[in-house]
Amino acid sequence: MSDLALSVKKPAAALNGYRFVQSISVFIIALVVISPLFMLFIASLKDDRFQILADMGSFRAFWVDHPTFNNFREVGNFAGELAFGRYLGNSLFILFSTVSLGLIVNSMAGFILAWGSLPGRALILAVVIALYVIPQESIIMPLLIIVSRAGLSDTFTAQILPFVASPLYTFLFYQFFAQLPKELYEAAAIDGASIFRTWWSIFIPLSLPALATVSILMGIETWNQYLWPILITQTDYARPISVAIATFFGQDSIYWDRAMAASVLMMIPILLFYLVFQRWFISSFVGSAVKG
Amino acid sequence: MSALTTVPKQRRRSVIARVGWSRFLQEIGMLAPAVGLMTIFLITPFLLSFWTAMTNQPLVPRPTPVRFIGFNNFIRILNDGLFWTSLWNVTRFTLWVLPIQCGFAFLTALLLNRKMPFRNLYRGMFFLPAITSMVVVCVIWGTLFQYPTGPLNHVVGVLSGGRIQPIDWLGDPNWAMLSMVLLSAWQAYGFQMIIYLAGLQGIPDELYDAARIDGAGRWGRFWHVTMPGLRPTHVFVLVITTIQAFKLYTQVAILTQGGPKSSTETVVHYMVRSGFEEQKLGYASAVSVILFLIVLVIALVQRRLMRRFDV
Repeated sequence: MSDLALSVKKPAAALNGYRFVQSISVFIIALVVISPLFMLFIASLKDDRFQILADMGSFRAFWVDHPTFNNFREVGNFAGELAFGRYLGNSLFILFSTVSLGLIVNSMAGFILAWGSLPGRALILAVVIALYVIPQESIIMPLLIIVSRAGLSDTFTAQILPFVASPLYTFLFYQFFAQLPKELYEAAAIDGASIFRTWWSIFIPLSLPALATVSILMGIETWNQYLWPILITQTDYARPISVAIATFFGQDSIYWDRAMAASVLMMIPILLFYLVFQRWFISSFVGSAVKG
Repeated sequence: MSALTTVPKQRRRSVIARVGWSRFLQEIGMLAPAVGLMTIFLITPFLLSFWTAMTNQPLVPRPTPVRFIGFNNFIRILNDGLFWTSLWNVTRFTLWVLPIQCGFAFLTALLLNRKMPFRNLYRGMFFLPAITSMVVVCVIWGTLFQYPTGPLNHVVGVLSGGRIQPIDWLGDPNWAMLSMVLLSAWQAYGFQMIIYLAGLQGIPDELYDAARIDGAGRWGRFWHVTMPGLRPTHVFVLVITTIQAFKLYTQVAILTQGGPKSSTETVVHYMVRSGFEEQKLGYASAVSVILFLIVLVIALVQRRLMRRFDV
């Protein structure tokens, strides 16, 4: 009965003028918001940097007559100038190292804080939560002293190790593990599993949502690092793609065509990742907002 | 949660007796990497910043020893007009970006909260700028801001019927900060939009039904159900946006280097310049201590407000 009533009501609601206006406005706003990104991809396929700027004032910004991958060929070297192949590789290496180490280190700590038996866990947890308020920007100067005195300037280690352990991610793992049922832990203990084994074989397989959330948040954070690598990298050796793209702006006349192609290179990995895991992305950003 | 209460002192020795050495060492081993790394790379630099701030520490070691100079760095900072300019600039930036970015995020969240065809596709599209790196955003907006014939000037010209002259977005001291606001709001609103969407979904349908029975119209339901239900969300969104705004750096460093005429100089940019380019690390540390205090105050205000709203 009620099903029938609903199905009669629905078409009437769909014809509602308010709904129509709303759909149209969402469509238009979405187009406007996305157009700069669309323009970036189109412009990266144009070979003439002056043409790119000339096209900008009109709808030609969204159209390319003779698409070419020349820009990508120009910037995609692995050595010498415009070695964006190398920079992209550097960034990917830093990304995978930071995220995989971060997942292990933070989830182990979160697990012990939730289920371990060490005294002082409550204190450590309180300190971890308090540390979250310290912005990266405000410790970056002393960090520069520590890291350069340790002889780590211009290395991958300097871009990976300081960001592996994080108060936010340890806390997110703690929160996730703490709400799993006690029976899981007790069953493992009765079977004689060690605490390490309990973490690895029982809790980790159940924590896919937490692993996904932390990977995504950490991944975006690492990928977008800019201030720290600019301070710590001096040569091509470990330079990430973000810093390399910024150097286009130091020139008298900006090679927009190359800058656009390099930007597309930087966007592709995160875009692919996003298209596959879109639902996870959005929920993980919500998850990061629920904090102490 | 009861697992969290601290073990009473007299039983502390018995932890090993209770769980055994092997388990005790395993737990230490699993906790140690995180605690160790946070101690080296977070706690130490944080504490060190308070000490360095009171010295004349240079970036590159010099033969002359580092001297303790008390609060001299702080006094010099507070007497530097450029510091106050940078503080005023980020305040100005915050006052602009809060209504624009959060307002737009709220609007899109309201629009997307209703059932409509392709809702998930739209949601994904609206979130795209938020996953775009700031450096890439600067490349994109660097072309949009072109003077005098860039796309933004073209749009302004068409909308105003040619009455408004082309604007030198990045070169005019009156406009440069507003340009940073537009670019930053576009890049970051997606995050606030998602938080608002979650907030909207947290309002129970029964409240809307009850309001409808009471004869509330669309506006009535918005003002008396949606807005009160979103109060904690509003507080949260405003606070994180404010903290983010005070840390403004990347877009300024890339597009304007603080100029023209220091109109886009920010606190972090000022810090990096004094520490890295002028090599005065002690001075820069003092700026970073001030930055931390600002963020701390904002975070404390948030806690007060959140408690008042019962969250």
